[in-house]
Amino acid sequence: MKALRHRTMAGYSWAMLVFLYLPIAVLMLYSFNDSRINAVWSGFTWKWYVSLFDNRQVMEALWNSLSIALISSVLATLFGTAAALAMKHYSLRWRSVFNGLTYLPIVIPEIMMGLSLLVLFSQIHLELGKLTLIMAHVTFSLPYVIVIINTRLADMGKELEEAAQDLGATAWETLRHITLPLISPSIIAGFLMSFTLSLDDFVISFFVAGPNSTTLPLYIYGLVKRGVSPEVNALSTLLIVFTVLLVIVAELFRRKDSKSLTF
Amino acid sequence: MKKWKSLMIGAMAAALALTAAGCSSSSQEEQVLNIYSWADNFNPDVIKDFEQKFNVKVNYDMYGSNEEMLAKIQAGASGYDLIQPSDYMVATMIKLGLLEELNKENIPNEKNIVSTFQTPPFDPGNKHSLVYTWGITGIAYNKKYVKGEITSWQDLWNPEYKGRVIMLNDPREVMGVGLIKNGFSNSTKDKGELEKAYADLKTLLPSVVAFDTDNIKQKMIAEEAWIGTVWSGDAAIINGENPDVEYVVPKEGATIWADTLAIPKGAKHKELAEKFINYLMDPEVSVKNYEWIGYSNPNEKAYPLHSEEYRANKMIFLDKEDMARAEWLVDVGDTLQEYDRYWTEMKSGR
Amino acid sequence: MKNGKQLKILALPAFVWLGALFVLPMLMITALSFMKRGTYGQVVYEFTLSNYARMVDPLYIQIFFDTFLVAVLTTAISLVCAYPMAYYISRMERSAQKIWLLLVMIPFWINFLVRSYAWVIILRSQGVINSLLLSAGLIHEPLPLLYNFGSVMVGMVYTLLPFMVLPIYVSLEQLDRRKLEAAYDLGATPWKTFWHVTLPLTKSGVMTGSILVFVSSIGMFVVPDVMGGAKSALMGNVIQNQFLSARDWPFGSALSIVLMLLSMVLIYLYYRAVNAAEAKEGTA
Repeated sequence: MKALRHRTMAGYSWAMLVFLYLPIAVLMLYSFNDSRINAVWSGFTWKWYVSLFDNRQVMEALWNSLSIALISSVLATLFGTAAALAMKHYSLRWRSVFNGLTYLPIVIPEIMMGLSLLVLFSQIHLELGKLTLIMAHVTFSLPYVIVIINTRLADMGKELEEAAQDLGATAWETLRHITLPLISPSIIAGFLMSFTLSLDDFVISFFVAGPNSTTLPLYIYGLVKRGVSPEVNALSTLLIVFTVLLVIVAELFRRKDSKSLTF
Repeated sequence: MKKWKSLMIGAMAAALALTAAGCSSSSQEEQVLNIYSWADNFNPDVIKDFEQKFNVKVNYDMYGSNEEMLAKIQAGASGYDLIQPSDYMVATMIKLGLLEELNKENIPNEKNIVSTFQTPPFDPGNKHSLVYTWGITGIAYNKKYVKGEITSWQDLWNPEYKGRVIMLNDPREVMGVGLIKNGFSNSTKDKGELEKAYADLKTLLPSVVAFDTDNIKQKMIAEEAWIGTVWSGDAAIINGENPDVEYVVPKEGATIWADTLAIPKGAKHKELAEKFINYLMDPEVSVKNYEWIGYSNPNEKAYPLHSEEYRANKMIFLDKEDMARAEWLVDVGDTLQEYDRYWTEMKSGR
Repeated sequence: MKNGKQLKILALPAFVWLGALFVLPMLMITALSFMKRGTYGQVVYEFTLSNYARMVDPLYIQIFFDTFLVAVLTTAISLVCAYPMAYYISRMERSAQKIWLLLVMIPFWINFLVRSYAWVIILRSQGVINSLLLSAGLIHEPLPLLYNFGSVMVGMVYTLLPFMVLPIYVSLEQLDRRKLEAAYDLGATPWKTFWHVTLPLTKSGVMTGSILVFVSSIGMFVVPDVMGGAKSALMGNVIQNQFLSARDWPFGSALSIVLMLLSMVLIYLYYRAVNAAEAKEGTA
């Protein structure tokens, strides 16, 4: 009975994974399509993988996207984790102010946030570029990190923390040795979320990007009018293959590590 | 946990160092031209030649619609030196004081532009802009499914094409079709005329498979749509991929459009931008450029240098009679609100 | 906590940041909604309430209603899709959990537009599914799978699924299994255990996920365009149009503010409803 339930659950999860990867498989296939406009299948070619590396714009955009996503998601995770941890020490009134402040940026239409940031940056004469992009990305992903970590903190019992304090641990010690390890899955989830949000953001980035700071989504949306070229599919394919390989290698190393530890 | 933390700090430091390195290498003392334009609007080799010839660096950023570009320029401090607004947007930007006047002394090749585009209504005398590419919004149709001759906007209403008609996803273009079909101007400010055009378009809605500007070519090529409103240059691209697709300018008339070269107010490298404009209008450079882009070349001097194939393409070089029937879109001022409300209503599903 | 006061300063960076880069610019743009549109789309600095008055129009009210309906449906479907998956992931050993989380997120590192176009290739009349069905002889005419309400829902759920999976996973991951076993020992059926033990214990994850999916789908405008053929506009499209094609920033800003307030009210009601249900559960 239990095994059956487990198997149903596993089957369901694998089916969802297929749903998630179905379009990915199609876009990978179309990276071998011998047609610049990429509307219908018209023959096999490797050429987009070759031309990709000569395409200065694409490589610059990829680089901008990755570095901006990494920096902004690390910053957002740091600020967000700190804020979520601190929030419960405030009075109820302050907490609801903070909660509102956290949900508002998520609720506001992206175009409003993009425009408002653009207006702000141009008022204070900050040159549009990578810096403004990072600032904007931290702003829109920070609330997501706070919300996710709050979810974890809401479910967490106080017992362990209280026990640690009863044993004479200071607030900071408790935080480092008890609370942080307990919430680490939510920190990882928050980081993944903000990294993903940053990597895929178009609307807000559009407004706050300047010359020489084109990100991958900006580059791709720019291509749309003439047709997104299979080069973009080729790049996406490489990105996926590379990440999946990285995950596999990391997993293999970990298994080897844990084996050598246990035996 | 510790491992995770040190990993994060390491990644952060690496990313910061690398971005810093990236920044310092690009801020070398070299003249930079920042272009803000549509995608694929220049032959990359032409840009490369220009960079080498004048020892400059060209940054080429892209936008997907005039209004996106406007929003960016309007907020100020965009940092761009050369933009490519379309006709009606040039007029609007001139009125909003967002364009620099071109210094024609730096652009002697300006005289190469064909006389029809020397005094366009959106910028008489080409004070702020020069026509770069142009075309006409007409009807493209697939011969495999559409039998008989297509001559009129009325043909879109043919019940046989139900669920196979595609329209541009743009309020002015779509309302323009309704207006022109009924014999009105595509930029009318008359509420009665708008009302009538809307009532007519409403009866077309059940036939429409999709509104699309960005992927209209893919939808025509993949034969998802059989007939629809398409720009002439796009029709040429579609025809190149799917030879069954033909293009016609309907007898009632149509909308003509142009993308221009212009310099936004306060551009830091105005002279370099003018140098680049002049370079693009050199006959030989423009032949190389336009055969790659696949749109019409307004450069008269370049015409004899073009390949036979390019010159013979009726979707690139439109007939004089077709052009005579075409009408420019004009900024309608406050009436744009009416256009937008009808547009919203058309899409409210009622 | 006794000496938690020191920890309060940890909130400082985040809220100073949000204050400077969110509250401040938002105040500026909120002011816009009380201004007028100039003839050429510029903003005229004259006070008016007309942008709000304009919204009292059956047209816009209908679109608000449609938007919320789509958002509620998207949330419900995503919840059903995500919960079992999150549950499955949370029951694995920790390292496998990380891998599955990554597997769930990786598709979303690929540009949104590129993924949406892949859906178009799958669903269109000459697309992958129709070709398969036609060649198998199951159908004789291609099915209209694209540019309708169903395809918009597919696109919405596909796009927003990770927003649901992550919070629910975070909540489930620390679920005390002893409580479940206790329920089983007391003879509860799996369904009863789920309904009375698991679900209430993961309430915060479900709520966070629902809210994230709900508010994200409210602002969505690319999915209705690409997957729905731009035939039926949601509020996100209308707002987008105000800032772009209609160049009416004041009206767009007014619409955004009303949309935002309505969403906040709905979130508040949702919170109350869930808490009320829980209180009832507690007394039962």
